[in-house]
Amino acid sequence: MPCDQALRLTSIVLASASFVGLVLGASLPGWLIFLTASALLVALSRTGNVTAITSVVRLVTLSPTTWNVLVLSGFLGFWIDSLWISGDLLTSGIHFLLVLMIIKLFNLQHRRDYVHLFAISLVAILAAASLTSELWYFPIFLAYMLAGVWTLLLFQLTKDAAVPSAAMRREPEPLESNRDVTPKLFWLANGLAAATFGLTLVIFFVIPRVSAGFYQKGYGENIRTSGFSNTVDLGSIGPIKRDRSVVMRVELPDRQAHEVGRFYLRGLAFDRYDGRSWANQLSHRRSLSEDSPETFTLRGSQSHKPSPHGPALRQHIQLEPLDTPVLFAAPFAESINGRFPAIQADVTGALYLPFPSSTRIEYSAVSRSNTVAPADLQPQPAAYPELFIRHFLQMPVQSERIAALARDVAESKQTIYEKAVAIQDHLSSHYRYSLDAPLAAQAHPLEEFLFDRKTGYCEHYATAMVMMLRAIGIPARLVTGFLATEWNEYGNYYVVRQQDAHAWVEVHLPHSGWVMMDPTPADGDSPGGTLPAWHTVQSMLDSVRLRWNRFFVQYSATDQLAVMRDLQTGSASVRLRTLDSLAAFLRPLTDAFETGIDSMTNGGLPHVVKVVAILLAGCGGVAWLVWARPWNWPRRSTGAAGNEQAIVQLYRRMLRQLERRGIRKPAAMPPLQFIRIIQAQWSTAGTAVASITELYCRARFGRVPLTREELHRAQETFHQLTSLSRS
Amino acid sequence: MLTRLRAIVQRFTYHRSTRLTSEGLQFLFFTLAVGIAAINTGNNLFYLLLSMMLSIILVSGIVAEHCLRRLEFHRHLPDLLFTNELATATLVVKNRKSRFPSFSLTLFDVCDGQDIDRGLVIRELPPGASKLLSYPLVAARRGRLRLDGVRVITSFPFGLFLKKAYYPVAGEAIICPEIKPLADEALQDLLAAGQEHTAHRKGSGSDLYNLRLYQAGDDSRAIHWVTTARTSKLTVRETEAESQRRASIYLSLLAPDNLDTEFEEAVAYTASLVHHLAARGYHLQLTAGASRSSFGQGEAHLLDLLRMLALCERRAPHAEMRSDTDRFMEPPDRVDSGALIVVRPWRGAEVPSMPVPALLVDAETFLGASHAM
Repeated sequence: MPCDQALRLTSIVLASASFVGLVLGASLPGWLIFLTASALLVALSRTGNVTAITSVVRLVTLSPTTWNVLVLSGFLGFWIDSLWISGDLLTSGIHFLLVLMIIKLFNLQHRRDYVHLFAISLVAILAAASLTSELWYFPIFLAYMLAGVWTLLLFQLTKDAAVPSAAMRREPEPLESNRDVTPKLFWLANGLAAATFGLTLVIFFVIPRVSAGFYQKGYGENIRTSGFSNTVDLGSIGPIKRDRSVVMRVELPDRQAHEVGRFYLRGLAFDRYDGRSWANQLSHRRSLSEDSPETFTLRGSQSHKPSPHGPALRQHIQLEPLDTPVLFAAPFAESINGRFPAIQADVTGALYLPFPSSTRIEYSAVSRSNTVAPADLQPQPAAYPELFIRHFLQMPVQSERIAALARDVAESKQTIYEKAVAIQDHLSSHYRYSLDAPLAAQAHPLEEFLFDRKTGYCEHYATAMVMMLRAIGIPARLVTGFLATEWNEYGNYYVVRQQDAHAWVEVHLPHSGWVMMDPTPADGDSPGGTLPAWHTVQSMLDSVRLRWNRFFVQYSATDQLAVMRDLQTGSASVRLRTLDSLAAFLRPLTDAFETGIDSMTNGGLPHVVKVVAILLAGCGGVAWLVWARPWNWPRRSTGAAGNEQAIVQLYRRMLRQLERRGIRKPAAMPPLQFIRIIQAQWSTAGTAVASITELYCRARFGRVPLTREELHRAQETFHQLTSLSRS
Repeated sequence: MLTRLRAIVQRFTYHRSTRLTSEGLQFLFFTLAVGIAAINTGNNLFYLLLSMMLSIILVSGIVAEHCLRRLEFHRHLPDLLFTNELATATLVVKNRKSRFPSFSLTLFDVCDGQDIDRGLVIRELPPGASKLLSYPLVAARRGRLRLDGVRVITSFPFGLFLKKAYYPVAGEAIICPEIKPLADEALQDLLAAGQEHTAHRKGSGSDLYNLRLYQAGDDSRAIHWVTTARTSKLTVRETEAESQRRASIYLSLLAPDNLDTEFEEAVAYTASLVHHLAARGYHLQLTAGASRSSFGQGEAHLLDLLRMLALCERRAPHAEMRSDTDRFMEPPDRVDSGALIVVRPWRGAEVPSMPVPALLVDAETFLGASHAM
């Protein structure tokens, strides 16, 4: 492929990369996507010399003045869009950018047009970066960088003697624009791209992070969730239980998955139930004190007596932008570490940001759950203050049947704890879990759940347990949050989705304080056994996504300072830290490799066959690349060798055509002698046959390459030959 | 102080310098814009783009530096050049790097600090390879041509910067005055005028020297048949030795400043005269200002005379009129010095009194008019 053609191709690829970035990041109108994609396809087909499209485009060639008028119209449209249609400067700017790209793609002729297209695509990829922080941006960025390096390199190579006095320039070698992209150039460009990428990473991690913050914007709309406001209707969690959107990722640096099991992330606690909805009447917030920079400590306890604490649990949480200011952590959070202006907490121990975050946030939490004190295992009378009773023993008026049921279930038990466990067991064993429970429409949804349908989901179970406990005088409250069960083995973290939204119960024991209980049985619909292969891929991708967020999106001046501190303390720790980071980044790959090896050794013959087949396919692919050299294909098809093949094929088609007309060329007969036979037997075809034969002999035996015009002429001659009739 | 500082900076940047191309300027502008956006928003993806653009700039610098490093140049210039006459100079470039090729090199001759474009371009120079480049060289003025070095420029790999490197590769050539064709008539006149003063000697040649009686051993081809028939005595023809034709040429170097063109024309005329007389086998002596050559003949002598003419310099009359180094006033060495031709670019220059009549060539002659006797 000649360099100028390659420049055109890489410019279009560059524009395509930025266009895909915008399509994925911004919600563009369909007609604009269609128009831009069409323009890219037309430009691409013109590069590939698709005759039909090229001739059609030639027919609608517009003058430069018309193009300028179109640009001005686009600019006018930008203001109209900005003021009346989209009403947003960024959105209308992106629309205008794509209009400019379309115009430039149709008008890609001069060198300055390539510069303009480069600038447009740069602004487009910048706009895409402002609209997203998702993982897909990374491959788009890589494609953009590769195409950018190629474009710049080819632009330089095809430059017509940039230095002064071009008239004096003597060209002992052919112009670059006429030269092909050789394998050497191919590897040179890719090597430069690799070097650029390596340097990009270094600069990215080293460049000081300074954020003046005059203009900061989130990435689109926040994830809508429910169950995390001061008032929650019973059954409101149900709809989001089918939503697989990821809301957070939680790492537990001190523990492994098998040590943790089901992992609860506490959000809000509710004290008042009116028969249809829960409310938090203790929502008065106070700001947490900042003990050390970015570390907020929760002082005091929501229980009226101190309680023995379990072991501390550290968590690193990456929270997606939600439409609630609630911060989630394992119960019960003691301190939060993160870059927040402030953190607030209410009396129930729920944590809040001052306002919902529009961007992904990352923080660490230290939690300590309450364990049941031995004193609570002994029957002792409990006395609660009036305020405590008003909030945590409150019941709606119509709950007499529920109280009777609670007394029945717990009557044989002596202690508060035993009664609570009995109610929990009763609910989890006598009721069926199902998301298809339209209880919200009922007048008395709780009674409907407990006595009629006996089918429901977490909210119904938790509400029922709280009401039953309160009915027999045990303080309890409903807690909403998430129950994480999906462990990503490649990244060693929990993936928490919307569908993991959960409600459970906190029971107050006189000596232990608030103790967590969950009456909801395991979801019968959840898949068990071996996970499908796509799940493995999904887990790996999610793990990469986590690292992308950690190392790229969330990388901050604090991380840089940490590295600097390490540098000061000693190079060994930096080396270890670097190796750790590298190992963490590559962990999905190494884990996949280890899994493959494990499968080979433990999985029996089918796994061995699979792995061997994959290895063989990989080796075959590499061998094919070395042998076939696909990067040379465009050159073969468009260069001299391609023309030679084309004329040989044309000559064969001519022979077949002549054979159909009754003149067969013996295999041993030389082509020139065959011309004489044609002239003798079919004189009208003699000239055409002689012309094609002459070009054939020249290319085939004379090794004189044919030009495109000569090949085109030969094809036209062949068409004339086919239209001739032999009398 | 400022001048000194500038000189220091110039010396520092002489061997390496970088200039932005128009595309590079635009790229830098975009980099700045992305940098401002990154600082303003704190968006790490903006920082990623900024890093990419900065790394492209860095890669440009590093690769361009590698292209220009460890090159070796050898220059060859002809020993003698003539003004306004095409000659061929050669430059050998060798890439002494063991691994990295050099790409897109444009070479300039550097003369008196000025870059002279010879149209030399090397698209690729593999590691360890060398390339011979030849280019036409036309000198506009006579004198000494000094080339200080070679400036190598590359915009590889991305065309954002023009990086320059200077390699000192000295080269020197003598530029002789232009040799112009002389009118046959004028030349004949000059030769005729000096003929009577030429010391005639027997020898091989074409002109008649003497007739004498045939002696045994004489070449039969030398028999002069007309005289033999008339006198009935075998007579042979002796020829004048051409190698013994002599001419002394005097070039006055005195000319005021406003007659520089006339002076150059006088030098060119003298060179043409020397060239033509040498071609006719004359023994020539040239006096140019204080320099005087010996009588001589042949290619080497001719080149010496032309070199003298290439390097002679005009002298202003008020200071040099009576200079004891100016031998213009001195008579020739010998009486039999042959034809005496005095070339005078300025009429104010005194003509010396010669032992033999001299042929005076004034500005009118070499500027187109006939010569004066």
